[in-house]
Amino acid sequence: MSDVPFKNPGWAGNTGEFDLTEEEVRGDDFVGTRPLHGGHASGAGTMPFMLPETNPDAKLFEGEYQERFDKILTRYPDKQAALLPTLALTQELRGYVSAASMDRVAELLGLSPAYVRGVTTFYTMYNKRPVGRHLVQVCTNISCSLCGADDVVEAFLRYTDTELGETSEDGNFTVIEAECLAACGFPTCVQINSRYYENVTPSEVPKIVEHLKAQTDGDS
Amino acid sequence: MAYPYVSDREVRVLSTYFGDPKQRHIETYVKRGGYSALEKALGMGPDDVVEIVKSSGLRGRGGAGFPTGVKWSFMPKEKKKAHYLLCNADESEPGTFKDRELMRWDPHQLIEGCLIGAHAIRAQHVYIYCRGEFFEANQVLARAVEDAYAKGYIGENILDSGHDIEVTVHQGAGAYICGEETGMMNSLEGRRGEPRIKPPFPAAVGAFGKPSTINNVETLCAIPHIVKNGGEWYRQWGTEKSPGTKLFCVSGHVIKPGNYELPLGFPLIELIEDVCGGMKDGNALKAVIPGGSSVPLINAEEARACKLDYEGCVDVGTMLGCASVIVMDEATDIVKQVRRMVDFYAHESCGQCTPCREGTTWTAQILRRIENGKGTEDDLDTLMEMTQNMVGTTICVLSDSVAAPVQSSIEKFRDEYLALIRRGERVGAA
Amino acid sequence: MPVTLTIDGQEVTVPKGTTILEAAKTIGQQVPHYCYHPGMSSPAMCRLCLVEVEGAPKPMPSCVTTVMDGQVVHTQSEEATASRKAVLEFYLVNHPLDCPICDMSGECSLQDYVHEEGRDSGRSREPKRVFGRDDFGGDVLFYGDRCVMCTRCVRFMSEVEQDTRLTVVDRGNRSVIDTFFEEGLDGTNWHGNIVDICPVGALVSKDFLHKARAWDLEHTPSICTSCSQGCNIDLHTRDNLVQRLKPRENLDVNGWWMCDHGRENYEWINQGTRIEAPLVRDGNGGSKAVDWKEVLGALLEQANGAGAVKAVASPLASNEDLGALKALVEALGGGETVYRSARAEEEIVLKGFPSLARRKDLAANTTGAELMGLERAGADDATGGLADVAGHDGVLVVLGDALEDQPADFGKNAALYVFLGSHESEASANASFVLPVTTFAEQEGTFTNVAGRVQRFWPGLQAPGMARPPWLILGALVAELTEADLPRTAADAFAALASAVPAFSGLTYDDIGTRGALVNEPVQLSGD
Repeated sequence: MSDVPFKNPGWAGNTGEFDLTEEEVRGDDFVGTRPLHGGHASGAGTMPFMLPETNPDAKLFEGEYQERFDKILTRYPDKQAALLPTLALTQELRGYVSAASMDRVAELLGLSPAYVRGVTTFYTMYNKRPVGRHLVQVCTNISCSLCGADDVVEAFLRYTDTELGETSEDGNFTVIEAECLAACGFPTCVQINSRYYENVTPSEVPKIVEHLKAQTDGDS
Repeated sequence: MAYPYVSDREVRVLSTYFGDPKQRHIETYVKRGGYSALEKALGMGPDDVVEIVKSSGLRGRGGAGFPTGVKWSFMPKEKKKAHYLLCNADESEPGTFKDRELMRWDPHQLIEGCLIGAHAIRAQHVYIYCRGEFFEANQVLARAVEDAYAKGYIGENILDSGHDIEVTVHQGAGAYICGEETGMMNSLEGRRGEPRIKPPFPAAVGAFGKPSTINNVETLCAIPHIVKNGGEWYRQWGTEKSPGTKLFCVSGHVIKPGNYELPLGFPLIELIEDVCGGMKDGNALKAVIPGGSSVPLINAEEARACKLDYEGCVDVGTMLGCASVIVMDEATDIVKQVRRMVDFYAHESCGQCTPCREGTTWTAQILRRIENGKGTEDDLDTLMEMTQNMVGTTICVLSDSVAAPVQSSIEKFRDEYLALIRRGERVGAA
Repeated sequence: MPVTLTIDGQEVTVPKGTTILEAAKTIGQQVPHYCYHPGMSSPAMCRLCLVEVEGAPKPMPSCVTTVMDGQVVHTQSEEATASRKAVLEFYLVNHPLDCPICDMSGECSLQDYVHEEGRDSGRSREPKRVFGRDDFGGDVLFYGDRCVMCTRCVRFMSEVEQDTRLTVVDRGNRSVIDTFFEEGLDGTNWHGNIVDICPVGALVSKDFLHKARAWDLEHTPSICTSCSQGCNIDLHTRDNLVQRLKPRENLDVNGWWMCDHGRENYEWINQGTRIEAPLVRDGNGGSKAVDWKEVLGALLEQANGAGAVKAVASPLASNEDLGALKALVEALGGGETVYRSARAEEEIVLKGFPSLARRKDLAANTTGAELMGLERAGADDATGGLADVAGHDGVLVVLGDALEDQPADFGKNAALYVFLGSHESEASANASFVLPVTTFAEQEGTFTNVAGRVQRFWPGLQAPGMARPPWLILGALVAELTEADLPRTAADAFAALASAVPAFSGLTYDDIGTRGALVNEPVQLSGD
């Protein structure tokens, strides 16, 4: 994870009761960089799959991704159970799950495309259409709502110059409302791609948006 | 100690190492006594392990509060087919954030609990179904599991016991209903995460059609401590019927929101005023939801009388659920917040059962109309009766969960609804 | 071990493992339901079949709750009816008031249930969600707004046809049935069944769209004639025309299903330009319409000493028709009878109900024909094969085969050429006698299916003009030529057949009933 030029207060530093760096709180230093081939098979199916840089035409699958896919298959008694990890892997590569992707995944797992469509559309995290490089998901559920989440959404919409659910003209941002992200003690919680931003208030939003615009790779 | 604030009233059992990043490293975990409970459990028969857990009185920490030892005892004692242990790490109940902390601070505690649980129910494979949005927790767990494999705590012939247990970290994809145990099994099988009818129960026909047990993260994290120290030891805290400690997730209008590990039976008002430092900005308390959005709201008077255990909450007309305490002050717009909660259920309903599929959206529509000043008093009667029609008529209890905030808020904060209906006035600010 | 329980005050004994819903059926109590169907899995998700079970904490879904000894069940109690009333209200929240324009009206279970047990007015004042109309391909249109999400259609495609073409897309109130984008249902062979099992007017047949009102239709039990499987069907008729075909339940033959090929093949039954009166040709290109007595008399005169018989029969003729033809051929001194039938290269098996297939023989009674010693002639497209017959100089009898592929000089050498048919063609020009006959839809009779099951069908249409069933015409001729009695009913004709052909010996219409009965000898499926 790269250094951020602003204090993201959602980790311990702010309360003063712990003496930790952000990497220590998030476990980034412990996890390190997970290899593209998925590492140990037991965790091969779980990787960050919401990234800013993706390729809608990426092949499903080749090289290290094929290796990861093969490992995933070994963890379940049948191919159908590998569907969710495979869709995540597809989205990691292509940024969203298109009809063509559903068809290809169906082919790889011996399922019907209609079935794969039914499963893909059930889950919120699979993007059914392309989104901005940064998918900003602001929790507006009860605990964050009590602490001003609506204002945070407003701020993100203003500073990214988008409508709710639409992608900005420069292709950088899509802002949506999310359900409870399980960081209720750190309101308002915002998930941007694969990373949590906690204790976000409207005044931090412009800094976050600037920081994201300046990024060219990585997902923090 | 819990996170990000510590209170001296806490009892550290599961949250001892919150805020200590060294705890993730397996060498540190072992040096601190980790995996010794696993060794002890592997030296016993599975049924003996179940007896210890039964004697502790540990109740499921995912919200249902079903005695864990009893649940484990439902599994077949003779292993004729594959058995599975599913760890429910799909924490999505609004207001709940304890499992995420448990996984990112002390992953090996969970892993050890899973392995002991797998041994107790004769399972050869554990799936940790970790919520899709929890990228941090997923990565930390994946790394910890990898380390545990490397050191021989997972895999074949664990610690020379002759037992083989595999662990897979399975990432979810964003669906609250996958936190329902049968919805989770369907999701694990690569299906839409729609709940199944019970019977058959998971212990008979579960994941992949095989006997399965589903346990919450916090429940499994308690297991190593119980096995190591004995069931009686666990009963030193809590009450007769609700023994042990609980991680309380406090959010909303308090000065120090966060997780706090306290003995069950702790008075709710002390949690708010002492442990959490009291109400933010000195505002008066208006309402509390003690167990996550699926349990009824209680007003300030009831909150003062409420003891935080399974029975104590029922005594004041609510439920402990997963002990997610959402605190609302006098400036809260109750109607708006209830509407937001119902919006959540409408968004997350799987859509199988008609009362839920139609009722959640209909309820949200009525509440939005009231919120916008276009409601009528008939709407309140409709809401009360219609949400009651959603209780007990569906496959799972998501439908029942809508009735809780709606009915309790209309009963206890009727004046707020009426203000909007009669005068278009909002009582609260946020 | 049978189980005894009490349902609505009545004691019921059923096998262990029976569901409460099925147990209630045995005493005539139909518990309302949508998602349950005996031919598929039971997800218990429609929540309409909830019944009161004494001792249970909440109403139980009767489609999946198995019976227990001593259980006391109430399907009509206050708790049960209140539960249904509540659930029905939810069904109507977003259901459009389409009854005036919905094909399902009059045979719609939502109409029926709400009328019986629903609230008398809905309380929702909110705008309804809209999905619009979607063409699923094949014969199916989908009106998403009307859908009650019972998922019977999804489960039919995935469990019975075993070609998962339908799915539920999205979740919650946004969920809707759909296909994989443009793939639709094209290329499937059983999709018509999803229109049958849809409890409301969400899935409708394009062919039947806005054609007729359900309450105007008469239903007549019949047998599908498009292949030798012999699916039990109902003819739905109005204005003396077949409007559509629907399968009829028979677990020994077709379950609850029929294939698309058979379902869509009914328009030929309605084809007009029928032969309406017996015709006698004068040899100079002219014909005269006469009455039956006259034509049969004239025919018999000419038949005397006219020579050996060659006959061509249609495999759509009933067992009775073919039996009478066989008897006539014998009475005239013997001869050969052939039949021509279209034949497909492959069977199309319904994987989830494998005893049901669209068979290779594309006609209902090829097996009946074989059992009576008729020989197959012609190609797999039912043409040709009549070189011997066309120039025959003795007696030539054609029953039901319209001879459309045959030239105009067909039968010109025959001493006596009798053409019994529903439509003329070029090749009937030389017939001395043209006799109008009924189609299967206009007469009573039986067919023998590929497995040797004799099945009855009844007339749903009135025959045009003076057309008569072949068994009656030929039976009358045989009665004149031999000691046989005139068959007055189809049952008589069948009895005559049963005494002449060993395969049918001992069978009666009563035995056959509405479920069918097997012939006496194992049937060798020709060419399989």
